[in-house]
Amino acid sequence: MVNEINFDTVIAAIEDEIGCDCEPYGGMINEEALRIPVDHLQSVIRVLRDQFGCYHLSTITAQERENQPGEVELIYHFWQGKGISLMISVPLESPQVESILSLISGADFYEREVAELYGVTFTGREETPPLLLPDNWDLGPPFIRREETDE
Amino acid sequence: MIRKLIEKTYRWAQKNSLWVIHYNTGGCNGCDIEILDLLTPRYDIERLGIIAESSPRHADVLLCTGPVTLQAKDGLWQIYAQMPSPKWVVAVGSCSTTGAVFSGSDTVLGGVDHILPVDIYIPGCPVRPEGIIEGLVQLRERIARGE
Amino acid sequence: MNKITIPIGPHHPLLKEPLSMKIDIAGERVLGASLRLGYVHRGIEKLALERTYVQDVHLIERICGICSHVHTTTFCLAVEALLGIEVPPRAQYIRALMCELERVHSHLLWLGILAKHVGLETVFMHTWHDRELALDIMEGVSGGRVSHAANQIGGVRFDLSEEQEAMIRENVEKLKTQVGGVLDVIENEPALRARTQGVAPVSVELIKDYCVVGPVARASGVDIDLRRDDPWPPYDQLDFKVITLPDGDAWARTLIRALETRESLRLCETIMHKMPDGPVTVRAPRKVPEGEVVTRSEAPRGEVVYYLRSNGSDKPARLKVRTPTLAVLSLLPEQLSAIHVADIPVVLAGIDLCIACADR
Repeated sequence: MVNEINFDTVIAAIEDEIGCDCEPYGGMINEEALRIPVDHLQSVIRVLRDQFGCYHLSTITAQERENQPGEVELIYHFWQGKGISLMISVPLESPQVESILSLISGADFYEREVAELYGVTFTGREETPPLLLPDNWDLGPPFIRREETDE
Repeated sequence: MIRKLIEKTYRWAQKNSLWVIHYNTGGCNGCDIEILDLLTPRYDIERLGIIAESSPRHADVLLCTGPVTLQAKDGLWQIYAQMPSPKWVVAVGSCSTTGAVFSGSDTVLGGVDHILPVDIYIPGCPVRPEGIIEGLVQLRERIARGE
Repeated sequence: MNKITIPIGPHHPLLKEPLSMKIDIAGERVLGASLRLGYVHRGIEKLALERTYVQDVHLIERICGICSHVHTTTFCLAVEALLGIEVPPRAQYIRALMCELERVHSHLLWLGILAKHVGLETVFMHTWHDRELALDIMEGVSGGRVSHAANQIGGVRFDLSEEQEAMIRENVEKLKTQVGGVLDVIENEPALRARTQGVAPVSVELIKDYCVVGPVARASGVDIDLRRDDPWPPYDQLDFKVITLPDGDAWARTLIRALETRESLRLCETIMHKMPDGPVTVRAPRKVPEGEVVTRSEAPRGEVVYYLRSNGSDKPARLKVRTPTLAVLSLLPEQLSAIHVADIPVVLAGIDLCIACADR
């Protein structure tokens, strides 16, 4: 059986341990979501893992929101009894995020997919080789290209 | 006269002993598991003399499933090139016929006939095993007629 | 001893689908492996944005032919959550029935493939022959053996008549007997056990570190099953056992699927027993209000996660799908290190790959 994670306790622990501004995002159905600053991603994940035993990363979603142009948003979906998501935003011109591969080995494929579909660079890990796109793909990140051709 | 008899015998032997190789170039597996179903007791394709082979060098017929993706197209061509003549290509399923629901995607070329000359098209999503048997029977009749 | 790299794939008798692996060996031992996916990448997430939600149900069903129903169920649940509509109970039960039948047919399929790789060709023939009964049930109610088009946004596409319900009960009973016989052989066959016992054991720590899901995780003792832990109705009203095994080797991964098949057949009986009467669908508007949702389901291979964001139109703004095989594949290079070359087919078969799911 899985002990369901308690969202309020998590927020309190993050604010205690790291002292960063985390903003609950109420817009996600079935999932508790939290906006956190990019630089604190690794420390928040450490708190989740060490204090709450929340180790299961379901996936990393990347997207561009229409009402936030010029930004790529990454959502790290965790699960323990219920879903808890961490949301970060990086600028489109220089999308760089610190890799969490050292904390969670299972994040490799998800980071590689985000890197090739959205052009995000993950620092602190070896280069992300292509995962899904063909070897001779030279059209740039597919999801970003669509936005750029809207003139 | 003798020559005709020999040819007829040759084509009879060919059509009754087709060895197939199956390659999935990007399909969802629906057609693939229906092809594998042919080997099982209910449909039993072996009664028609058809055996599933693993090596392209031993095969007469290439069964293709799935739309051709950019990454898989070289492999498809190489398998076809390795097969000894005479050889035939059967496109199993709507995806390998036209690309079906995946056409329009950046990473999908389309049906198998973008790369290879196809002899029989079997539409369906996925094709029922009876449909694949019908397609193979039509191939046998074409072989018997000398096409 | 010198290291040699053997390429396997993309076309290989071991693999049903194209997947490229480079395996490093020295003598008879495997040192490591690297994978190259992408041969089946059809860009489904991008294609889904160009079609309406109704058209997307048809597209999503073709992510994978073996677990097609659970994909459309998860997608429809996501859209229904955004629309704020509740599916009638009878439709929920029909969805669950199809999910369990799919689990039965998928596990039997896999058991046959494993038996074929290990050399038990008769077991392959028997499991696939018995699997036809499960496909018969699904065809009898939906019209399709593999692709059922059972789901629509708002419920299911068909209702079950009394004759169909009787047919389902009869066939589930037949399946239990026939499949029971084959599963007895698998569970007690010394050759199969000798071939797979002790091969590539995976510890709980490795499972947690690589975020592995599904029967592979449960075979290593991790007690996680979304049908019980994060259920969508009617699973919260159904009683069933979640099976875990402690050893985590290839034998555990084989045995767990045999045991899960038995449990799924029992669950099918429970579903038929508890199936309520009533309508099977509610009307769903075409345009979906703005919002975002995450839905999870337990597919035959593990956790399926869908993230869906809508922008008020009749087409999605973002759809993200994470299938269980992608989570399990990340463990494969680690699993393949330090085994013998002859065990490669057993390990590959043991994780029940579905590359079409992983690549999308």
